[in-house]
Amino acid sequence: MTTRFDLQDALFGAFLVVVAALVFYATRTLSFGSPADMGPGFMPRVLAGIALAFGLFFAARGFSRGGEPIDPPRLRPFVAVLGAIAAFALLGVKAGLAVAAVATVLVAAAGSDETRPVEVVLFAIALAAASVLLFVKALALPIPAWPW
Amino acid sequence: MELFDSLFLGLQVAVEPQNLLYCLFGVLIGTAIGVLPGIGPIPTVALLLPFTFGLEPATAFIMLAGIFYGAQYGGSTTAILVNVPGETSSVVTCIDGHQMAKKGRAGHALAIAAISSFFAGTVATIVIALLAIPLAALALKFTAVEYFSLLVLGLIAAVVLAHGSVAKALAMIVLGLILGIVGIDVSSGASRMTFGIPNLADGLDFVPVAMGLFGLGEIIANLERPAERRVVAQKVGSLMPSGPDLRQAFPAMVRGTAIGSFLGVLPGGGAALPPFTAYALEKKFAKDPSRFGHGAIEGVAGPEAANNAGAQTSFIPLLTLGIPSNALMALMIGALMMHGIQPGPQIMTEQPALVWGLIASMWTGNLMLLVINLPMIGVWIAMLKIPYRLMFPAIVLFCCIGAYGISNSMFNVWLMLGCAAIGYFFIKVGVEPAPLLLGLVLGPQLEENFRRAMLLADGDVTVFVTSPISAAILAIVALLLIAMFSPKIARKREEALVE
Repeated sequence: MTTRFDLQDALFGAFLVVVAALVFYATRTLSFGSPADMGPGFMPRVLAGIALAFGLFFAARGFSRGGEPIDPPRLRPFVAVLGAIAAFALLGVKAGLAVAAVATVLVAAAGSDETRPVEVVLFAIALAAASVLLFVKALALPIPAWPW
Repeated sequence: MELFDSLFLGLQVAVEPQNLLYCLFGVLIGTAIGVLPGIGPIPTVALLLPFTFGLEPATAFIMLAGIFYGAQYGGSTTAILVNVPGETSSVVTCIDGHQMAKKGRAGHALAIAAISSFFAGTVATIVIALLAIPLAALALKFTAVEYFSLLVLGLIAAVVLAHGSVAKALAMIVLGLILGIVGIDVSSGASRMTFGIPNLADGLDFVPVAMGLFGLGEIIANLERPAERRVVAQKVGSLMPSGPDLRQAFPAMVRGTAIGSFLGVLPGGGAALPPFTAYALEKKFAKDPSRFGHGAIEGVAGPEAANNAGAQTSFIPLLTLGIPSNALMALMIGALMMHGIQPGPQIMTEQPALVWGLIASMWTGNLMLLVINLPMIGVWIAMLKIPYRLMFPAIVLFCCIGAYGISNSMFNVWLMLGCAAIGYFFIKVGVEPAPLLLGLVLGPQLEENFRRAMLLADGDVTVFVTSPISAAILAIVALLLIAMFSPKIARKREEALVE
């Protein structure tokens, strides 16, 4: 089974073009200098130029030939895993590692079709306890363990 | 007798009680993640890095290295018992190893795998020790000019042997180099691409990048696929291989070790390529090639020896020249810098205790692995019964804690979140993230050496071809690139990697 466009190439090409544009924009005020006396803007612009060339090449190739289709992405695992990381980042310092760990495990587990509710709650509590003992007590990681 | 003095020094470091203990931790963790499919050495090393800051550098490296070669042992256990490779390097072990298990000879297969790995590990340790001194002597002649060319070679060569499209891998290196620019420019003090975020002043931390791209992106992609049912072979049977078995396996072990040691040294070699090559070779050497695929013992011994030898000799370019041969070695370079050690050709003369202690610890580590893997096989089989639905939330949690631990700030956790999304995107569009990590870690050094070379030569770019060592290195780079883009060789390479 093939598609009309090579979507993988086209998307990767577009990604490179966006990154290159971002670099050009972010370093627009830095001086370029000369090869003998390079300014801070020399390397970024040279590299962004190369990335742009690669990006245009892949994009052009992607739109000019057919390719394998991409497996349709599923939203649930994506949202669950990223949501779990966000939960940790938001809760970690304010609510302490114990709470953050339980939240992270539960949110992540919501991304799998296989998850069993009771099992995962017990598992989350066990993991949170182990994390507090290992990272806060034994390894002295500077993060609060409890909300109070 | 510099070699014996150095090895003796290394052994003294390796048998210090603290180093022995951390070596044991390393190989235990390595075996565990090797046994478990779905988590590899790269995110594991990234995860544990922040917790090694309080240790002596030698102790930290002994443990981190143990994780890498320990994973090669563990991977074969899963390959034999479940027919699922625990690590990419044990894919070929599945073929004959699992057939042996089906015939009730799982114990023999496991024992041969462990013995081959141990044999290969011992030989590879000697190979490293022998090659290290002459290479380090050569490296002392290097200036910024040669080192720049060497870094270019390291980056390009790593791409050649990697899977997938060469052009895409090159583009990924460029992406990595771009990410390496982020932060305050050392020579001008200007902040580049920091977008006004103070946490970015010191540059992007590669640990959250590595965990996001390799560990978490992979988890999201795994969850999309329907869960696989694992059937663990019921009976392990007797462990002790018989005399005829050993006689049959021994030549394969020797050949596998030779191939693995050689391919491991090449940039881009590492642990993935050697076992495939060794398996193909064993099939050619066999009197009756039809036995392969039906439980031929050589089909386990050769590749297992090769992957372990390759895993160890891939440390040679790192320890002597300061260039990584694969993504995991790039992490090791980053780890060196975090411990305040400048990687590069001078590392052997400046840090003899670290380098030789690490080399000697590989042998003690291999000895531990032999004991860990054979009598304790039941523990690892029990671990295989942990379902993925519980494993992946735990990995997510540990990655979060690890990312926080690097600089005790949530900024890196957010950074990891972004990298997880990008890592998932890379899987979807079919590009390998490893070259990006190499670019990110080597980028700052590449720019610094290029600038220094340009200052020395007054902006004359020809300096890279007028210095003989640099010219020779760049000639190899050019040859590699030409070879890669010539259609005939490209096709051959594809066949070799697909097999």
